[in-house]
Amino acid sequence: MHQLSKLSPLENDKDLLMKIEGLCYRYPDGTPALEQVALQVRAGERIALVGHNGSGKTTLVKHLCGLLSAQQGTIEYKGKGLAAEHLASARLEIGLLFQDPDDQLFGHSLYEDVAFGPRNQGLSEAEVELAVRQAVTSVGLDELLFKPPHALSYGQKKRAALAGLLAMQPEMLILDEPTANLDPLQEQIFIDLLKQYQGTLILISHDLIFLYELCERALVLDGGRVHHDYSLRELVEHRPSLREHGLDFSFRFAESRQQTLTIKDERREVDRGGNPELTLPASSLIVTRDLHYRYPDGTAALQGVDLRIKTGEHVSLVGENGAGKSTLLLSLLGLLPFAGDYHFAGEKIVAGKGRLVWQRTGMVFQDCADQLVCPTCYDEVAFAPRQFGLKEAEVKELVESALNKVKLDGFSARVPLHLSGGERKRLALASVLSLQPQLLILDEPTAGLDPRGEELLLEILRDIDVTLLLVCHDIFFVRELTERTLVMHRGRIALDYSTKDFLADKNLTTLNGLDYTYRNRCALQIKELQHRHEHAHPHKHLHEHPHRHAGQLHSHPHEHEHEHPHSYTHSHDKSGAHQHPVREEYHEHGHPDHERDDHDHSH
Amino acid sequence: MNGSLQISPLWLLPLLLVPLVVYSGLRMLVSVGGEDSQQEERDWTVPQLEFTAGKSSPVHRWDVRFKLASILLFAFLIVSLQHVQTVGIALFIAFVSYRIAGIPWRRGIKRLLGMSGFLSMFLLMLPLTAVQQPGDLVLVFGQIDWLGFNLRGLDLAILIILRACAVALLMEPLLATAPLPTTLAGLEHMGVPPRLTQLLLITHRYLFLFVHEARRMQIGMEVRGFRKSTSLATLRSVGNFIGMLFVRSFERTERVYAAMLARGYQGRWPQSVSFSAGSADYLKSVLLIGLGLLLVFCDQLLWKK
Repeated sequence: MHQLSKLSPLENDKDLLMKIEGLCYRYPDGTPALEQVALQVRAGERIALVGHNGSGKTTLVKHLCGLLSAQQGTIEYKGKGLAAEHLASARLEIGLLFQDPDDQLFGHSLYEDVAFGPRNQGLSEAEVELAVRQAVTSVGLDELLFKPPHALSYGQKKRAALAGLLAMQPEMLILDEPTANLDPLQEQIFIDLLKQYQGTLILISHDLIFLYELCERALVLDGGRVHHDYSLRELVEHRPSLREHGLDFSFRFAESRQQTLTIKDERREVDRGGNPELTLPASSLIVTRDLHYRYPDGTAALQGVDLRIKTGEHVSLVGENGAGKSTLLLSLLGLLPFAGDYHFAGEKIVAGKGRLVWQRTGMVFQDCADQLVCPTCYDEVAFAPRQFGLKEAEVKELVESALNKVKLDGFSARVPLHLSGGERKRLALASVLSLQPQLLILDEPTAGLDPRGEELLLEILRDIDVTLLLVCHDIFFVRELTERTLVMHRGRIALDYSTKDFLADKNLTTLNGLDYTYRNRCALQIKELQHRHEHAHPHKHLHEHPHRHAGQLHSHPHEHEHEHPHSYTHSHDKSGAHQHPVREEYHEHGHPDHERDDHDHSH
Repeated sequence: MNGSLQISPLWLLPLLLVPLVVYSGLRMLVSVGGEDSQQEERDWTVPQLEFTAGKSSPVHRWDVRFKLASILLFAFLIVSLQHVQTVGIALFIAFVSYRIAGIPWRRGIKRLLGMSGFLSMFLLMLPLTAVQQPGDLVLVFGQIDWLGFNLRGLDLAILIILRACAVALLMEPLLATAPLPTTLAGLEHMGVPPRLTQLLLITHRYLFLFVHEARRMQIGMEVRGFRKSTSLATLRSVGNFIGMLFVRSFERTERVYAAMLARGYQGRWPQSVSFSAGSADYLKSVLLIGLGLLLVFCDQLLWKK
């Protein structure tokens, strides 16, 4: 396809695209969001914008595209302040991808939505059509060009939102958590698209593995200030910085739980042969046979699901977006009018009537906002016990225990809406744990969490002793929390094997195109970097080179202290400090000008 | 003089079942008419002038501005009709325009189904509550003489139902034969404030999302054991639910507006629609409005008692 006759870009003499000086911003309630931010962005740079939740990342990018104006300081785009006419033009050159794709898909159809930006750029209708088709094809949605956005899947919505920006051919692209909640296939599509993108890229993400693939420069925000501004490689190498900013994901490098299965865990291994019997063994919590469900629009979502989950088992359910995982969960909760047999704890469940299941099951939704409806954390956690008619004294006890389990002691009076993402996720977990469920269902528990939040959640989940059904794209959580994996594909359970076998399965990509091992490979690369990298500090060498003593020049092995960079293979302790081998090594390497230094040693 | 006719009280039973029978009948029609069309995924690579069977119909080709003006005016004329005979003809015209537009019956029946619960209550309530006037024929159920079934009330109920059905059927050729943005652009050309049309467009888009969010929240409450009852606790929970839905919607509106600004929105939705009216558009409008006026004329003069 040929290129569009794009609007002539704003004049820019140098390659400096954005310049920010002394930027300060306070929220209307007086809370400081940005403090003296100074920053320069050059054309073509690829920047990872990282930091804790609430560190000011979103506020900063809103300033970058003129959605917020500077209360103090200056923001220049191509040498001019972002205001008036220049602001209007700049917005047409800067694309901002919001975290929730529904926020920016406001068109009546995908075509109309993608055309919104080019039309605002003043292109003719023929050029608009070309821009739309190019952008939609590039994100692989050309077959859905006239589909209404509300009918797209989540991954498709994310790509559609990106197409809306790409159609404007932006000089700068700012993406806020672009891969949150995407399956590995959709994530790979995003990575490929962004690798091809030629302009300036700013990515906000907690996913360091994703950032490592795409960015060179890392900008770390902390408390509204730019805390570090260096290369991404330097950031990932430096564990103390990662830990300080909640980005340390090295807990993922810990030894696999699969490798340390205890005898108790081994006992959980289940027989998986043949169809489940309807004369149930006492230990079967869930048994389904030939479960079917068809959406009102005719789409077959479940096509004969046979499943047995034993009490105490930890099972993960994986599969591409749209494979039927969520539909299966809703059916297991008795919320959908499925066809087929379903027994829960030995009792037959009638489609659409799941009160028995609800009393014994806790489900944490992907978007925890869907289950947080109360004005205080206490009320939120007390909601379920109260619904089942427990006495207030009992409710209080359950609430305190649940809050304690999720490490939210002292949060009773807090407002759920004001909590951070990680805290809300844990509150949602507490709100279902308060019923002391037999079965815990977690739908994408890591969605939107930073690594610190993930680590904490993992720690909590390891301590909860219930039957677990985990729906997750995060292979690390699957590995750590479950011993059996079900792979769903096109409404069926295509594979049912141990998590160990799942992790070793090389043929999975041929089934559903999902490469679960990809992230592991990236993580290992980073691990390697963290343990084998170059840094400088004083250290002793035993080495040999020509040197002088007074007038005498000679060469022999000798030892003394230097400070210069080396590539080391070493470990890090918990604080992130380097732990080098104690043994002093003789090694050959250059010491510039060292020959001229004074050498005072005995012979 | 009032006329009254004694009938068995057992007749009350079928009368009470009327709304249910109407609803079930329409439901059955929907399910019979819809089994074939829903199994396949549509071809989304082409614009969805929804009902492809009729995409080249005269109604589809009708300039949106003329279509809007004519059909809306015709709908107002129908509502003003006072006699079942003229309303019946109007309903027939609505049926004919529905067929000309090539819209599947299932869609129309679904629309009628949505109204049936409310409308069929008229069949029961109006005859039972109509004030008796001289000349009314009232059916009395045995000894229950305080409960008269006034046939004039029944006439009135039928008249209202026929009018409602005619207007409802006309809404299909009006709204389903052009994309919503085009229809709204037509409204804008006719003088409706752009802010209102933009609001309608955005509302249509986010209504689906709102319903979806509300449903997810409802599921979130249900799986934690929530069951509606007539208690203060239920009232509190429902209040929290509505409040949270409102907060989420409010926050979303701010984010959507920010997203629009970020993509160059400057207070005006970029338009791609251009209109050009031809003689056929005028002719169709004259025909429909002429028919409407003729019906009013007949209604007022020919059948006026």
